[in-house]
Amino acid sequence: MSTESVAGGPALTPLFVRLKLSLLRNGLRQSPGRTVAYIASVVVGLLFAAGVVLGLIALRGTPHVGALAVLLTGILTLGWAVMPLFFPSGDETLDPTRLVMLPLRPRPLVVSLLTASLVGIGPFVTLALATGSAVAVADGAAAAVVAVPAVVLVVLVCAALARAVATASVRLLTSRRGRDLAVLGGLFIAIGGQGVNIAAQKLGSPDGLSVLEPLGDVLRWVPPASAVSAIEDAGHGAYGRAAAGLALTVLALVLLLWWWQRTLTTLMTSPDSSTLQAVEKDSRRSSDGGVRGPARLLPDGRTGTVMLRTLRYAWRDPKSKMSWATSIGVGLLVPVVSSVQGNGSIYTAFSASALLGMQMYNQFGQDTSAFWMVASAISTPRDAYLELRARALALSLVAIPYVTLVVIGTSAFLGDWSSFLEIYGLSLALLGALVATGALASALFPYSIPSEGNKNVAPGQAAIAWISMFGGVAVGAVLSLPLLALTIWLHVSGRHDLLWILLPVGALYGVGVAQLGLRVAAPRVVRRLPEILAAVSKG
Amino acid sequence: MTNEPEQNTGRAEGDGERTGGGTAVPAVRIQGLTKRFGTQVAVAGIDLTLPAGRFIGLVGPNGAGKTTTLSMVTGLLRPDSGQVEIGGHDVWQDPVAVKSRIGVLPEGLRLFERLSGRELLSYIGRLRGLPGDEVDKRAAQLLDVLDLSGSQNKLVVDYSTGMRKKIGLAAALLHNPEILFLDEPFEGVDPVSAQTIRGVLERYTASGATVIFSSHVMELVESLCDWVAVIAAGRIRAQGTLAEVRGDAPSLQEAFLELVGAGRRRAGQNLDWLGGGAR
Repeated sequence: MSTESVAGGPALTPLFVRLKLSLLRNGLRQSPGRTVAYIASVVVGLLFAAGVVLGLIALRGTPHVGALAVLLTGILTLGWAVMPLFFPSGDETLDPTRLVMLPLRPRPLVVSLLTASLVGIGPFVTLALATGSAVAVADGAAAAVVAVPAVVLVVLVCAALARAVATASVRLLTSRRGRDLAVLGGLFIAIGGQGVNIAAQKLGSPDGLSVLEPLGDVLRWVPPASAVSAIEDAGHGAYGRAAAGLALTVLALVLLLWWWQRTLTTLMTSPDSSTLQAVEKDSRRSSDGGVRGPARLLPDGRTGTVMLRTLRYAWRDPKSKMSWATSIGVGLLVPVVSSVQGNGSIYTAFSASALLGMQMYNQFGQDTSAFWMVASAISTPRDAYLELRARALALSLVAIPYVTLVVIGTSAFLGDWSSFLEIYGLSLALLGALVATGALASALFPYSIPSEGNKNVAPGQAAIAWISMFGGVAVGAVLSLPLLALTIWLHVSGRHDLLWILLPVGALYGVGVAQLGLRVAAPRVVRRLPEILAAVSKG
Repeated sequence: MTNEPEQNTGRAEGDGERTGGGTAVPAVRIQGLTKRFGTQVAVAGIDLTLPAGRFIGLVGPNGAGKTTTLSMVTGLLRPDSGQVEIGGHDVWQDPVAVKSRIGVLPEGLRLFERLSGRELLSYIGRLRGLPGDEVDKRAAQLLDVLDLSGSQNKLVVDYSTGMRKKIGLAAALLHNPEILFLDEPFEGVDPVSAQTIRGVLERYTASGATVIFSSHVMELVESLCDWVAVIAAGRIRAQGTLAEVRGDAPSLQEAFLELVGAGRRRAGQNLDWLGGGAR
C-alpha cells in the first residue's frame, strides 16, 4: 500500500464533519414515520432547551441560582457520559472499530472525531444550556470574560467524555452483554424520569432551591461544573477561585483526551470482542447440566420442561425480563401511587392481575423464530394444549403469589379488609380470563418482538399487536362479567354475609375459564403453526 | 461412499409400514409444490422423489428456492399448492407420523439462544417426549462427539457459527430421526467443525438413515452425496445419482454451471487495473 494517499489525501476533519452531517441527513430519509419521530424529537429537544434557558435567565440574581447552574451542568455531563452506554447506535461515528481498517493515526483521529461530535442537536442543546447557565450566574465584565471560555470548555468536556466513554466501553457495547444492557436502558430512563419528577416537585416548593446548596458546594469543584462556578466567582471578585475552577476543567479535558487517545490506540491494535468471546472459557453455570435446585420440583415431561424454559427466559432474555419487570413494577405502582395520593381504592389492586395476565399475550412472539423448535414438536392439539398450559402454569407460578401479595398489601395499606375476599376472588377470576384470552390471542394474533432496540413490535405488525392486546383485554373483561354480576347482586340484595363465597367461586371460575381458553386455543395453534412461525420470525 | 440403499431395510424393520423387502418407500415424495411471496415465485412447481437410505444433496445458486422447499417439506412453511409425503405419510395430513420421523436444522431461524448448549438439548429432547435419563445420556454423548463438551454450559447466544450449527445438529439428531433435513449445514463453519459434522453424518447414514442437505458448495456435495437434485429458479433442473447428474462433465461444478445456465460468463474484462501492481 502506498503512503501518499494518507499524506496527500483530503483533510480528515472536514471529512468526518461531512460524514456526521450525512448521517444526520440520512436519519431523516428513512421512513416517513421515522422522519416525523426524528423531527418531533428535535423540536421537543429545542423547546426543552429554550424553556430551561429562559428559566435560567429568569432566575438570574436569585440566591441559589449558582447551585442550580452547577447542578444542571453536572446532570448534563452525566447524561453525556451514560448516553453512549444506553444508545450505542445513537451516533454511528462513536464506534471507532468501524474505522480500524483505515490507515489513520490516533492524534488526528481524536481531533477529527471530537470536531464531528460537536455537530448535531445534542451538542447544540448543550451549548444552549451552558450559555443559559453562564447568563444566569454571570455578574459583571470579569464574569463575562470568564464565561466565554467556560461555555466552550463545558461543551468540549461533554463531547470528549461521551467519546472517551464510548471508546473505553466499545468492547462491552459490541458484546452480547452490552446489547442486553442497551435493551434495559429504557427501564433505567423510566426510573430516572420518576426520580426527576419527584425532585422537580420538591424544588418547586417555596425556597426549594436551598436544598441544592450542599450538593452545589461539592459539584462546584467537579469539572466541567467548576467552569460554571468560575464564572460566578469571577463576578464576586474571587479571581483565584475562578482561575482554579477553569484550570480544573482544562485539566479534565486534557486528561480525557489523553485517556481517549490511549484507549483508541489499544482498541485499534487488539482483537475485537468476537475473537475474545470465542476463546472465552466455559465458566458459567455449574457443569452437572440437567435440572437442579428448585427446578427439580417442576413436574416431569413437557409441562415441567416448558415451564423451566419459560422461567429461564424471563430471567435471561432481556426482552422478557424487561416485560416482566414492567408488569410487576407497574402492577405494584398503580395501587401504591393512588394510595399515596390519597384517592386510593382497593379496586386498584386489579392492576396486578391485569398486568400479569397480559404476560400471557403473544407467547410465541416471545420465542422469536426459535418457535420452529416448538412447532416441530407439536403434532396434535394435545401437544399444543400441554405447551400452552405449561406456559400458563409458569406465569401462574409468579402471578398468583404476586396478586395475593398486592391484594393483601393494598387492603392492609387502606385498612379496608371488608372487601378483601371479594377483590381477591375477582382478581383471580380476571387473571384466569386473561390467561384464556391471552392463549387465544397467541394463536390468532402472533407478532414478532425485535430482540434488539427498544421496540416491542416489528414494523408493520403494530395493528396486530393492538388488536391482540385491546381486543383480548376487552374480551377478558367480558369473560369476568358473570362474577362481577354475582358480586353486584350480592351487594344489591344485601347478602353481605355471603360475599366470602366470591373467593372460592372466583378462584374456581379463573381456573375454569383459563382451562376453557387453553382448550379452545390449542387446536388453533396446531392448525396455524406455519402462520405463527412466519408471524413471529420478522424481528 | 459406503452406504448401499439395501442397508435401510435393516432400519425399517421396526417400522412395520414398509412393504416387505422389495421396493422401499421413498424418503420424500414431492408433487407439484409451489410457493410465491407476493409477486415473486420462490418455488415454481417441484416434483421430486428422494430415495431412502441415501446421502442426498440439494444444490442450487443463492435464491434458487432451496430453503423455501426444505421449509415446506419439513412443515415449517405452508405451500400454496402441492403435496409432500415423508416415508409415505402426508406432511400436512399426518403430522404425528412425520414429525417424530424427521430431524431438522433450518437456516435463518434461531435456536433458544438464552439456554446453554446442554440446557437446549435437555429442553428439546424432553419436548419431544423422550424420557429424561435417556435425553441426558444422549445429550452428553452428542456434545462429546461434536466437540462441544467444553462449552456445554455456555449460553448458545455466545456460540460461534460453527458451534451453533453443531448444537443445532445435535438437537436435530437427539430423537434419532429416520430422515435428517439440513439447510446449509456447512455455511460459515470452520474446517475443523465441518469435519466433525461430516463424521457424524457419515456415521448416521451408514446405519441406513437418510440425510438431505442443501448447499451451494459443489466440491462438498460431490464428496459427500451419492444422490443429487439440482434446483434453480424454483424448479428442479436435474435429479439422480451423482454419476447421472454429472454426466459427461469433468466435475459436478461444471455440470451444475451448465445446468443453471451460467456456463461461459467471463468475469473481469473491465477490471484491467486490478492486480496489485504499481497503483
